[in-house]
Amino acid sequence: MATVIASGLTKRFETTCAVDGVDLVVDEGEVRGLLGPNGAGKTTLLRMLLGLVRPDAGTIELFGRTPHGSDRLILDGVAGFVEDPSFYPYLSGRANLEVLAELDGGGSQACIDEVLEQVELAGRGGDRVGGYSSGMRQRLGIAAALMRAPRLLLLDEPTAGLDPAGVRFVGGLVRRLSADGVAVLLSSHQIGEIEGVCDSFIMLSRGRVVWEGTGGQMRAQAPPSAYRILTSDDARALALAADKLGVQAEPSPSGGLIVEVEDGALDRFVLALGRSDVAIRRLELPVSPLESMFFALTDQPQDDPIVVPELAQSPRPSAGP
Amino acid sequence: MTARALSAAVPRRRRAGGGVWSVYRAERRKLLAQLSTRALALVCLLGPFAFGAILSQQGGVPADTLLGVWVHTSGYAVPLVVLGFAGYLGFPVLAGALAGDLFSSEDRYGTWKTVLTRSRSRGDVFAGKVLAAATFSLALVALAALSSIAAGLLLTGDQPLVGLSGTVIPSGECLLLVLASWLLSMLPVLAFTSLAVLFSVATRNGIMGVLGPVLVGLVMQLLALIGSGTWVHMLLVASAFDDWHGLLSAHKFYGPLIIGSCVCVVWVWACLGASWLILRGRDFAGTPVARRPGWVVPVRAVLGSAALIVVLGAASNWGPVAITKGRLEASIAPAFNDLTLLQQERLGRIVPKGTKLNDRTSCHRRAGASQGPGDDWSCTMTVVTPLPGANPLQLTAVTYDVSVKSNGCYKAQAPPSFVGQQMMSDAHGHSIVNPLFTIYGCFDTTAAATACAEAQNCGGAAARPSTSSPTSRARRQTPSTSSKRTTGPGRAETPAQRKAERAAGPVVMREINEAEGREEREAEKPVEEAEAAPPKVGR
Repeated sequence: MATVIASGLTKRFETTCAVDGVDLVVDEGEVRGLLGPNGAGKTTLLRMLLGLVRPDAGTIELFGRTPHGSDRLILDGVAGFVEDPSFYPYLSGRANLEVLAELDGGGSQACIDEVLEQVELAGRGGDRVGGYSSGMRQRLGIAAALMRAPRLLLLDEPTAGLDPAGVRFVGGLVRRLSADGVAVLLSSHQIGEIEGVCDSFIMLSRGRVVWEGTGGQMRAQAPPSAYRILTSDDARALALAADKLGVQAEPSPSGGLIVEVEDGALDRFVLALGRSDVAIRRLELPVSPLESMFFALTDQPQDDPIVVPELAQSPRPSAGP
Repeated sequence: MTARALSAAVPRRRRAGGGVWSVYRAERRKLLAQLSTRALALVCLLGPFAFGAILSQQGGVPADTLLGVWVHTSGYAVPLVVLGFAGYLGFPVLAGALAGDLFSSEDRYGTWKTVLTRSRSRGDVFAGKVLAAATFSLALVALAALSSIAAGLLLTGDQPLVGLSGTVIPSGECLLLVLASWLLSMLPVLAFTSLAVLFSVATRNGIMGVLGPVLVGLVMQLLALIGSGTWVHMLLVASAFDDWHGLLSAHKFYGPLIIGSCVCVVWVWACLGASWLILRGRDFAGTPVARRPGWVVPVRAVLGSAALIVVLGAASNWGPVAITKGRLEASIAPAFNDLTLLQQERLGRIVPKGTKLNDRTSCHRRAGASQGPGDDWSCTMTVVTPLPGANPLQLTAVTYDVSVKSNGCYKAQAPPSFVGQQMMSDAHGHSIVNPLFTIYGCFDTTAAATACAEAQNCGGAAARPSTSSPTSRARRQTPSTSSKRTTGPGRAETPAQRKAERAAGPVVMREINEAEGREEREAEKPVEEAEAAPPKVGR
């Protein structure tokens, strides 16, 4: 069952079209990643779903109902935050949650302790939020969302400001919520941080959807990976690369070589370097396949065709209509 | 804990009261946690006591403020003087500090998106916030009222108060009138609170939200000083802070109160309506480039405000003139009469109830036409000096310098050479306030023009019967004196009338002397206090 069905969403700010005809479906229990560079329209799309911004065109259905009437009342069961979660700095973390519980009708006061424990803030709940780090505010934002016992969770850059342990914590939490049937829409421009969490992705660029599909589809359609290799003899390595099928190498401005290889070609190239007495001093993958695809899709000028033609034909993930 | 477990933990039934009350409870919690709210409450609680204590230590009186000379005489003057000060600046500051940052703080902290994603409609949020601002404003006004009454009663006492027309108001009635006066101030406080809400919503700036109502209040005070017309003055919400003046007059008037209340309601409706329209149509999409700080919008706002002030200043002469010679004469003459008699009583003379000075009052301005507010009014009361043994027909002119405000309130002061110093000794040798040194009064600026014309024709004492209500006249007249009441020289238009009036003699002196004679005969001994008392009017 689709939790979110958005169709043709458009929002324009003065001369800028922030979101341009976006269609979006998120199913119950699905974790969908919303990818795109800064300014792609991710936050505006989430704001429209949360009722903070009125779409200029398009429709939104949450749980099969149109949520935002003239007074833009958001439905029960929807929770989340956009940009960084914001709180009253002169109140403690616990007092902030109590205020939010009042806004929710008072019923969620009882679970404040539990959600504070859940986000590992139980020991700091009495401290003023003004003294919280950005990571702690992020955790408090997640706690505030959990208080609503959500069936749809909309999170905008939830890992921003978190340490690696925090990133792992958010990922685990999202997966647990998903297992309970919560639909999650997770926005980020750090594709590596949500890569393993999301079931499917939708990629925005300049307000438009440029690709959507599952993680497996994305990896399959990713362009060749580019490695950076430092060797004992770059000139000889460059000459060897020219003879190898499926290997393209060029000098890197920062030293060493940038080598684009197709599947299996990297092993052959490394063995060839060894046989030619060229030592490999460093081999690194600065950009993952998903990131390569991300850049390929989102760095395009607005009217240029997408580099990977078959991606445009990519079928919608199973969660889609 | 997973979502399912949390779902089970969170009760789905909500407290009764709906969304507005949920928002109200949240706002109440936030306001109570704020330092500014606590500081305001502390000022409202301790400010009147500090004011009273300072006055007690200094011994001086704030004579320029209405009823200011009586702060050492009656504890009820203290809350009214505090109310007068609060109306000028205190209430706008209170409203601004409470409501001016209520909406803009959500912009400053970036918490709109937090609030508006909690299943509350914008209407709920708006209504809950306005309700919180209103209740806190009114609660602090009530706190200031109770505190100032307590300060007055504890530091000075519950003595009767000399009202705004020279009559003495008994203690119990005073308490009710003081409470009513503070109660009346709540409506303009609500209007200023609404104005603060509008500033907060429209500018999204806490500084403008707090200072805006204060600046508007000051501009209104300035506009009240200029022009002689009534239309602009009536539309100023700050004028409603003076509505209580009519309650403290011997002949209570309610015209300004009714008009002021209507004006406040319109202000509340307009400010809240505009605020709601702005909030309802707003997108919460972060801070767009167009709204980032710049100089264009502030400069436009300043220029527009300045132009509006100039227009209002030019329009301040529009409408009928509220301050007229006739109204002032009709008000100050009975006040002078009552205060003279009060002075005589304090000096130990026996003054029968209802005694009237046989005075004639004439007011004029030193420059220009004798109308409109100003400090250059002069009122001359021609009275028969009630000195024992004096020529009964000896007339003395007492000239008061009068400062009249556009709200119809005035302060009159005479040279000490006639009325004596501000402090005098009563019959028992105690130092007391000389009632005649400063005369406070207020008259109805909304009274019908016909009454004014009549007062102008009659003038002075003769005008009094026409402006008195039947009940108050009945209360003030006793059977023994009402038959003797003179009609006053202003009505003596024929020689026969003048002759009869002259034959009646100086009523005040005759009544006082006769009463004292009766007292002496009954006691069969002279009234030593009366003879030893300082000279009467003019000492």
